[in-house]
Amino acid sequence: MTADESNAQQPALLIVDDEPIVQQSLADWFRSDGYDVDSAGSAKEALRKVAEGRYDIALVDIKMPGMDGLELQSRLAEVAPDLTIIMITAFASVDSAVKALKAGAYDYVTKPFDPDELSHLVRRAVEHRSLRSENIRLKESLEAIAGSPTIIGASPAMRRVLELVGAVSETDATVLIRGESGTGKELVARAVHNQSPRRYNPMVVVNCGALAEGVLESELFGHEKGAFTGAQYRHKGKFEMADGGTIFLDEIGAITKKVQVELLRVLEDKVVTRVGGQTPIPIDFRVIAATNQDLEAMVEADDFREDLFWRINVFTIEIPPLRERSGDIPLLAEHFLGQFCLAMNRRASTITPEAIEVLSAYSWPGNVRELENAIERAIVVGKECVVHSEDLPVRVSGGADREVPGSSLADIERTHIHNTLVGMGWNISKAAEALGVDRGTLYNKIKKYGLQRPPDGAG
Amino acid sequence: MEPASGTASIEAVHLLTVGPFPRLLAEELTARLSREVGVPCRLLDEAAEIKPQILPERAQVHADDLLRQLEALPIEKGTKLVGVTLLDIAIPIFTFVFGRSRLGGPATLVSLARLKPEFYGMPADPAVTVRRGVAEILHEVGHNLELKHCRNYSCLMYFSHDVETVDLRGLSYCSSCAPLLPAGFLATGRRRF
Repeated sequence: MTADESNAQQPALLIVDDEPIVQQSLADWFRSDGYDVDSAGSAKEALRKVAEGRYDIALVDIKMPGMDGLELQSRLAEVAPDLTIIMITAFASVDSAVKALKAGAYDYVTKPFDPDELSHLVRRAVEHRSLRSENIRLKESLEAIAGSPTIIGASPAMRRVLELVGAVSETDATVLIRGESGTGKELVARAVHNQSPRRYNPMVVVNCGALAEGVLESELFGHEKGAFTGAQYRHKGKFEMADGGTIFLDEIGAITKKVQVELLRVLEDKVVTRVGGQTPIPIDFRVIAATNQDLEAMVEADDFREDLFWRINVFTIEIPPLRERSGDIPLLAEHFLGQFCLAMNRRASTITPEAIEVLSAYSWPGNVRELENAIERAIVVGKECVVHSEDLPVRVSGGADREVPGSSLADIERTHIHNTLVGMGWNISKAAEALGVDRGTLYNKIKKYGLQRPPDGAG
Repeated sequence: MEPASGTASIEAVHLLTVGPFPRLLAEELTARLSREVGVPCRLLDEAAEIKPQILPERAQVHADDLLRQLEALPIEKGTKLVGVTLLDIAIPIFTFVFGRSRLGGPATLVSLARLKPEFYGMPADPAVTVRRGVAEILHEVGHNLELKHCRNYSCLMYFSHDVETVDLRGLSYCSSCAPLLPAGFLATGRRRF
């Protein structure tokens, strides 16, 4: 055996049989065949061993004193649902073996064993397990890739974001993505993951803000059966699921101080212990965290641990709000239009220049997500294959002003300038840029139409 | 002579037939084995004290019991004793075994019953039987010389459960196993991997 081969992780087998000679002979035999083997003389001992250790395959004798193999099978299915079970039976109890198969056993083997048949059966079970886990991994990867829309943006701010994504992806550095709600933090996280060497492993998303403390701990670190009321099954945590890949901790500012302590320990040691468990599980993962909160202020206010802040604040990507990159709005709108037309099986649509102007003038407090929703609504309500400004939500198209516009060109110009100024937060330079005029012209128009900036707080 | 204890050194291999065994086949097996190893191989006279035990309800010989009887025979120091038989051997939990030995033990047991092509409905071919027999002997003696199973499928120490694997693994120890054998065990020119 070469060193490499001996270091490779072998499938772990548990032999459960009340006859010591069977335990011993099978253990010796499988060990010779390169398996990592353990044995148990009773169902009770088997349950204890499975609860404490990690096994891939259990060979379980049906006929045992006390708890028999069939009952053990159902108990094992609760404790370790992913354990592959092969039943051992005498010819006389093939009926029981069939019952076991119906209850989910992988297969059964009769005593005395045909060495060739037994070897093939166990190898097949190992292959089956490996294919099953590969299948799950591939599905997750596929979902991650297929569900990862392209980052759209030609503005300097977004080009900078894309540059940062490209720079950090190849490394294993922890990334903190900051930005307002709806700016596409998860999208950027996916882009980092999909361009990283971990891209063929899953990116597991945890919305820390959506889960209560007790649930979050269990979600992140997993729990053992019986760890708390209602924990009827062993549950793998998100960190375990992210093994080899990336864990995306969204809304990290929402986690409690207690979970912050646990999280810091896991990030530092790369080892998790399930809630109610004793065994530390080493895990290989990369962390991407995101927040729309001012973490520095939270640290100042003692709401967020400073050591955790520095642990996650290794490489920061700031995503600008949509109002600061209004030049990207037409691109984004066209992108969403194409996407929704495809999803709704509509003919290719276009957006009128007027509608683009309205979209560009709006301030988008809900950022890209709000724009996406607005386009979706416009396609749903629009009758033609063209998105008009009136198909857009009222809040976007100008609210009350737009509902009673005057009919003259001057009225329309006044309303449009007003909406653009409101959308840009009365930033004259940006509004002028969005309107395609210079600042002087805009000042003249403001004066001409008697437009006034509302006092702060009045919108 | 005293019962030998397990040792990784080897000076000779002695073959002992158990049960009905054609003399010509035994001599051919010994001669072929002699070509593979660098130590003298000798065919012993049958040992009357060996009494194969039949497994209850099975027309097969208890392999572990037979191995124990072989190990209890007086075996010269530095010698490995190979019991060869045409009887079908098995242990209680397995329907058959090709051979049995202990890691570092003084003796091995090999059955040709399931190595013969005719067992599988094929035409008899003594050359094939002898070649498979020698391969099994070298595998089991390898255990006596403290080699464990190897993961290289073309190595003699690869774990085989069927005759196809016996044929596939050939007659050579791999480059990882061969250096672990005692000096002089392999015949000159047989160190090919």
